[in-house]
Amino acid sequence: MRDAWSDVLVASFRDVVERLAHVAPRLLAMVAVILIGWAVAAIARRLTVRIFRMADLDARCARWGLTASLSRSGIGQAPSHVIGQLVFWTIFFVALLTSVEALEMPATAGLAAGVVRFLPNLVIAALVWMVGWLLANFMAQAVLIAAVNAQVALAPLIAGAVRWLVLIFAGAAALTQLGIAREMVLLTFGIAFAGTVLALALAFGLGGKDLAREILESRIRKRDGDDDHLTHV
Amino acid sequence: MTDPIGAEQLLKDGDLHTVDSLGPVEVLVGVCALNQARSAVHVVEAAAEGLASPLADRKCGIVVVEAGFRSETLDAVGNWLANRVPGPPVCCVRIAGPPSRSRAVLGALAVAHRLGPAVCALVDAGLVSLTPEALGRLVQPILAGEADCVSPSYTHTASEGTLTTNLLAPMCGALYGRRIQQLLGGCAALSGQVVTQLLGTEARDSDLMGHGLEIRLAIDAMVSGSRIVEVHQGRKTLDAGLAPPDLATTIAHTVGPFFRLMDRYRSFWSEGGASTLVPRIGDPPAILPEAGEIHLERMVRAFKLGLKDLLPVWEQALQEETLASLYPLGLLSPDEFVFPAEHWARVAFDFAVAYHEQRLPRDHLLRALTPLYLGRVAAFLRETQAGMPARIPAVLEGIGRVFEVEKAGLAARWR
Repeated sequence: MRDAWSDVLVASFRDVVERLAHVAPRLLAMVAVILIGWAVAAIARRLTVRIFRMADLDARCARWGLTASLSRSGIGQAPSHVIGQLVFWTIFFVALLTSVEALEMPATAGLAAGVVRFLPNLVIAALVWMVGWLLANFMAQAVLIAAVNAQVALAPLIAGAVRWLVLIFAGAAALTQLGIAREMVLLTFGIAFAGTVLALALAFGLGGKDLAREILESRIRKRDGDDDHLTHV
Repeated sequence: MTDPIGAEQLLKDGDLHTVDSLGPVEVLVGVCALNQARSAVHVVEAAAEGLASPLADRKCGIVVVEAGFRSETLDAVGNWLANRVPGPPVCCVRIAGPPSRSRAVLGALAVAHRLGPAVCALVDAGLVSLTPEALGRLVQPILAGEADCVSPSYTHTASEGTLTTNLLAPMCGALYGRRIQQLLGGCAALSGQVVTQLLGTEARDSDLMGHGLEIRLAIDAMVSGSRIVEVHQGRKTLDAGLAPPDLATTIAHTVGPFFRLMDRYRSFWSEGGASTLVPRIGDPPAILPEAGEIHLERMVRAFKLGLKDLLPVWEQALQEETLASLYPLGLLSPDEFVFPAEHWARVAFDFAVAYHEQRLPRDHLLRALTPLYLGRVAAFLRETQAGMPARIPAVLEGIGRVFEVEKAGLAARWR
């Protein structure tokens, strides 16, 4: 009885040691890949921040209104730092996937390769979204200033609508690029866009006729304002 | 100093021959047009008459430079030429490129450089108040060797030229040390030497936007130490032409070039001291009582709307304390509205710094100044309406002094 018990124990122990001996190199490889990935990501982050600072990106983003938008979204860091962080996490994320591959588990086989294949689409979608975001901010600011100068009462609302319209358009374009539910995105965007236009037309024509009158009157009043004998230059 | 911009760079061969047909002239009048067929003939006629009588013994010529996209101005002048009485030679040319008033001015200057006159008078084709006598007064100081640059001054009411009286003139005085009534007077006269000097200074495309070159013309003369005089030209009436710009565009086209020049002449204005008055020839201009109705409440409403809705934009342009000083103004009714010159001067210098640092797209920044400007104009008109017109020069001088005081520390902020 005692011999049988000790045989089972030794066999179990040997089995565990054998398995550990089999997995340990993979675990070590995984840790090494994570550490190397972290180091490479950190160096890439530092280089990226330095390059973008040399290119005066932070000042340019402030000029384009991106810094203010980031700040409004709760991101208080400089754009060069944000891009540096993005680079860091992208590289580190790829390193993590590679490290999981190193374990050679059947469930994760081909995971890293699949994600890396998907990366170009992800980068393009991110670029599309970023350009859309910049454009949305620029256009919203231009519309806001023009509407306030025209003394339109709901200027922020109009500027906000323009901003969201451009953002939704950019978002739909980015999702289409990623191939995520392409048909559904196109259909939803089409319905939403047409619906918004129809709703605005109805709202402005029926519910907002007073606002329409106010805007038209303010324009006519402005033309009458020439009677002020006010010359600026 | 670079090679002066030549007429051959701006004009087609046919137009160059037309210009050369004027021959060497002693006095050249450049009528600068931007789609101003309605008024151009009147201005050319007045200029021709002005050159014919008192300057009959001198060789004179007139060049009409159209920088717009329509040909009506040149057609109208051509029709007038076909039926005119004999007088000084007139030629018409067109400047290629994007339509802008500064391009017309550049064209006239380039023609002047080619023909080498002793005096070049530049006249806006919309300046319908130009009389033959006024043109004579404009060119005479240069012909007499008393000046290198002649700027007009006008009899006006408080509500005329408020962008000039409340921003351009006081800021110019504070920065460049010369108190001048008009930076954009619709006419000016320059000696041949000043023309060459102006064309020789590096011209950027941005100088040719809006009123860029007209503003540079006056400020270059101040910075280079040219002898500037002011001559009284009576009342000013300007026909803006087919499509007069809205207020925000006017601000962008005038204040923008002014701010841009601050970069170029930083070393000059950062060392300047107190300002001096530009010498006047003839009677000083008078200030007239207001003739028409002014709707102050509309301007105050525009300011309050800006304060409510444009805060995110103003926050990027104004210093915290400047912005804080504006909040209480939003609570005032039109009858009690004030916008002290001190606050306004700070706003103007803050916007200049923001423009320099490009904190916002520059066009957005300049247009965002509109409600603030309207608020200041409302307060200025309220202040001047309350007293006699005779008080207005003192108010204007006070604004100039405030700008000079508020200029302190600007150089340190100009990084």
